[in-house]
Amino acid sequence: MSFQLVKEIFLDNWPMYLRGAGMTIVISVISTILGAIIGLLIGVVRTIPEPATRGKRVILKVVNTIFSAYVEYFRGTPMIVQAMVIYYGSALLFDIHLNRFVAAIIIVSINTGAYMAEIVRGGITSIDEGQFEAASAIGMTHFQSMFNIILPQVIRNILPATANEFVINIKDTSVLNVIGVTELFFQTKSITGNNFKFFESYFIASGIYLLMTFTITRILRHFEKRLDGPQNYDLVGNQMQV
Amino acid sequence: MRRRLVLLVALSLIGAMLLTACGGGNASTGEEESDVFRVGLEAGYPPFNWTQQDDSNGAVPIDGTSEYAGGYDVEIAKRIAEGLGKELVIVKIEWDGLLPALESGKIDAIIAGMSPTAERAKAIDFTDNYYKSDLVMVVRKGSQYENATSLKDFAGAKITAQLNTFHYEVIDQIEGVIKETAMDNFPAMRVALESGMIDGYVSERPEAISAMAANENFVMVEFTDGGFETSDDDTAVAVGLKKGSPLREKINEILGQISEEERQDIMDQAIKNQPAADN
Repeated sequence: MSFQLVKEIFLDNWPMYLRGAGMTIVISVISTILGAIIGLLIGVVRTIPEPATRGKRVILKVVNTIFSAYVEYFRGTPMIVQAMVIYYGSALLFDIHLNRFVAAIIIVSINTGAYMAEIVRGGITSIDEGQFEAASAIGMTHFQSMFNIILPQVIRNILPATANEFVINIKDTSVLNVIGVTELFFQTKSITGNNFKFFESYFIASGIYLLMTFTITRILRHFEKRLDGPQNYDLVGNQMQV
Repeated sequence: MRRRLVLLVALSLIGAMLLTACGGGNASTGEEESDVFRVGLEAGYPPFNWTQQDDSNGAVPIDGTSEYAGGYDVEIAKRIAEGLGKELVIVKIEWDGLLPALESGKIDAIIAGMSPTAERAKAIDFTDNYYKSDLVMVVRKGSQYENATSLKDFAGAKITAQLNTFHYEVIDQIEGVIKETAMDNFPAMRVALESGMIDGYVSERPEAISAMAANENFVMVEFTDGGFETSDDDTAVAVGLKKGSPLREKINEILGQISEEERQDIMDQAIKNQPAADN
């Protein structure tokens, strides 16, 4: 391997690398955000305490069963299989012709949503039981206590796991070429199909992947620090004792 | 915090709506029109098809990207589209995605150097051949297989071929061969060959010529003294169509007008024009 060759390949093909990387990053960013929202909503619903009335209990049970099935299916099957099933299945069975880009976002979002649902559930159950009790003691409903007390803490706590999902998504978009999405991996493959310089071409791709994942994890890390607030602070209300 | 959450939910809803809106728009305009001829190919199998960054040598834009597809398949596709009086749209799809895409109506035809095997013919229809080639073996220069002339010379060699192709099945005809796991695509096999994981892979002449042109470590072995026994259906390539497609007769008629000489000309041109040639 020569770095001269790596440079040459990059200079020859940078627009293809760049467009592939753009496609990869756009799909992962949108899908991770949508997936996190799906996960949050499912997590909130799945932690609803058992309602008093029978009718509500039945409804909740049905909803929870559907969510469980969703989580198990999308967590338990590879994304490349889901891509085939959703993209081609929707056309064969229901005659729905999804745009490739939209299909890619749907596939990655619901895949991420399944993982995020479990991450959020873990985040919610990790919050001290006493907070739920205190919230219901002052008359808050489940959703009130969730949105005002629990979720703000959960979001901070699940950020590292979300960063994980983000990184995984950036890498896993590489399976979407089976439905014709020209992301970074597919572009690199086309480049090697032309120049037959495999190591050098994929070496460049690895650098671009690393750049993307590293930047994303740094940004989320910064976000975590912002949410943590300042490390040093003056207690307000204590002036009189000075 | 609450306000921020509400904002987040609102933004995501707007995002979702935008997505569905543009998805719906595309579905109604792009997919159902009948005055376009959508052709699926890998755009990574020179000289049959490849990806390039400009429209030189008559390359055609790839749908949904800023790149262009060129090659023998694309030239044939252009002639067919012209004959059908339709606008040619090239859709770039992974090899394994081609058949599902055709069956589900995402594309109208596969023109991707695909051989009309009996197994594939159960799922899709094929037109008459638009090219016919010989099977060869690509090996490393300087290896003991470089000067092989018959299948017997490959006893004890680690050989593979592309997954789901007849190339892989004919390996069984070599006595004493070590049949490696099939690989997904040609780039993967070339890297396996270069790194010594395999001693050779089964290929067709045009692919082998371009592999040689691009990498001086590769040599094509032609079987002058007893090669693979192949059926006519296997060494030829044809246009894949959905079962019962009304286009078949018309396309056969168009292909019939392209003489053997013209085909060879187009292929020579494609081998010359492929992006690897100038490296």
